[in-house]
Amino acid sequence: METVLSVNKLTKNFGKLCAVNQLDLEVKRGQVFGMLGPNGSGKTTTLGMLMGVVNPTAGSFSWFGEPATHQTRKRIGAVLEHPIFYPYLSGQKNLELNAMIKNADPNNIAKVLDIVELTARKDDKYKTYSLGMKQRLAIASALVSDPIILILDEPTNGLDPMGIAEIREIIKRIANDGKTIILASHLLDEVQKVCTHFAVLKRGNLMHIGPVDDVGKGEEIVEVQAFHDDLGVLLQEFVGSGPIKKENGVFQVMMKDGFHSKDLNRFLFDKGIVASHLATRKKSLEKQFLEILADAK
Amino acid sequence: MLHLLQIDLKKMTSYRTFWVICGLYFLTLGFTTASGMEILKWIANKSSEFGASININRIPLYHFPDIWQNLIWISGLFKIVLAVMVVISITNEYQYRTLRQNVIDGLSRWEFLQSKILTNVLLSLVSVVMILSITLLTGFIYTPKIEWDFFFFGAEFFLAYFIEVFAFLSYALMLGVLVQRSGLTIVLLMLSHMIEAIIKVNLFRESWSTQIGWLQQFFPLESITNLVPLPFARYALQEIKDYVSIPAVLIALGWTVLFNYFSYLKLKKSDI
Repeated sequence: METVLSVNKLTKNFGKLCAVNQLDLEVKRGQVFGMLGPNGSGKTTTLGMLMGVVNPTAGSFSWFGEPATHQTRKRIGAVLEHPIFYPYLSGQKNLELNAMIKNADPNNIAKVLDIVELTARKDDKYKTYSLGMKQRLAIASALVSDPIILILDEPTNGLDPMGIAEIREIIKRIANDGKTIILASHLLDEVQKVCTHFAVLKRGNLMHIGPVDDVGKGEEIVEVQAFHDDLGVLLQEFVGSGPIKKENGVFQVMMKDGFHSKDLNRFLFDKGIVASHLATRKKSLEKQFLEILADAK
Repeated sequence: MLHLLQIDLKKMTSYRTFWVICGLYFLTLGFTTASGMEILKWIANKSSEFGASININRIPLYHFPDIWQNLIWISGLFKIVLAVMVVISITNEYQYRTLRQNVIDGLSRWEFLQSKILTNVLLSLVSVVMILSITLLTGFIYTPKIEWDFFFFGAEFFLAYFIEVFAFLSYALMLGVLVQRSGLTIVLLMLSHMIEAIIKVNLFRESWSTQIGWLQQFFPLESITNLVPLPFARYALQEIKDYVSIPAVLIALGWTVLFNYFSYLKLKKSDI
């Protein structure tokens, strides 16, 4: 697969503070790449360097296999931190300006306004927009040049649940169009739902990089609930049971290798017990994320 | 080039403050330069109250070729208004962080600065055209008998005026890039002449000042002022500099290049 972004030993120091330390990354075409990390872990600084607004202390990176210039940036749609627009210009005029800077076809504007559902408010001044509308206009401006790659930094920051769901839908739709997306976020649930790959940063260091599908691989946790007083004891008798935990009245059985929920179900059935709740849980990204960060200590 | 100018004009032409300030600039500039005779009449009227009589008809304020330097010198006083507009334009980009977004969207930092410099060129040109029209109009109205041999004597002051406005706008742009906050920048801009004067007075008061007095013309704001010398002393029968001095032009141009270069350096080096 074609490499879209390649980062080589990228470093940024702010005085004594090392915000990004010798970062190596590679993003391939078609990936939805999540960048995770606590606040202040260097996500935005990294993206700032990749977009030419922060001067790197050392290291290099290339977009589309060419050295980065302002011309390569025109082919990238990016929103860093929070939406930035001219408050006194309307949404439409702001997008016209973006299109001019990016040498994009102005006919795209109507299309991207439609995608983010802002057509009805396009002639109102930006400063009258709600936070959700501002975020959506930012996504529209990133899309206006029909970019190969999209960079979104905390696109759902500060939004209400409905706004978050809307933005997530938009991102999924864009990803389905085959665009490469780099998504920085500390909302792990969000990354797990939309990303194919992810990297974890901590205090400027890369802690982990890999596909999201690998998260929780090889470990299967089965949740069981049944109307039986000694269910906990019984479950321990099952040969496939690993450690068992009880949470909110539900038993969580970590399965040994080669055993699955159906084996547990058959075991219970043989014992004359019918489970009222039986579900397979994969380890969440959140758990893995916390583990990765804990390991680093 | 034109593309970059269009980008900056797109930002400005929907900005109400831009139109209000530019409107005020051209209105006050236009009315002031066009109503010199009324001002002279007022002065004559006032002084007659004190028993002195001035024959204003003997002051050829609006006569070719005197008019060129007269009106251009007056117009130079108004450039501060345009400079404040330039400061607002650049500091807005910092305050709204749109400079950052412009660069993210694919302008290089140098292109961004170019777009601002090109607007400065345009504002300076429009000022020149405005004063040229007013000069021609009032000149033909008030000059009793046009002597074509001397008609263009002093017309080179338009070139000096262009450099004067453009140099000062470049200075304002540089202050904006360095300071980044509009209020503080405007105060510094207003006090610039005063600050330079304070430095000069303290530097040149000593006895050795006579040897280094010639250094004064190299001061940045002084160099801008020197482009068009004050003409009115000639009506008190004093000798004046009624030509554009080449060294003055060169020094002012040098500073103009430096102002914009400093802006470039600052923009290039900082994280935005």
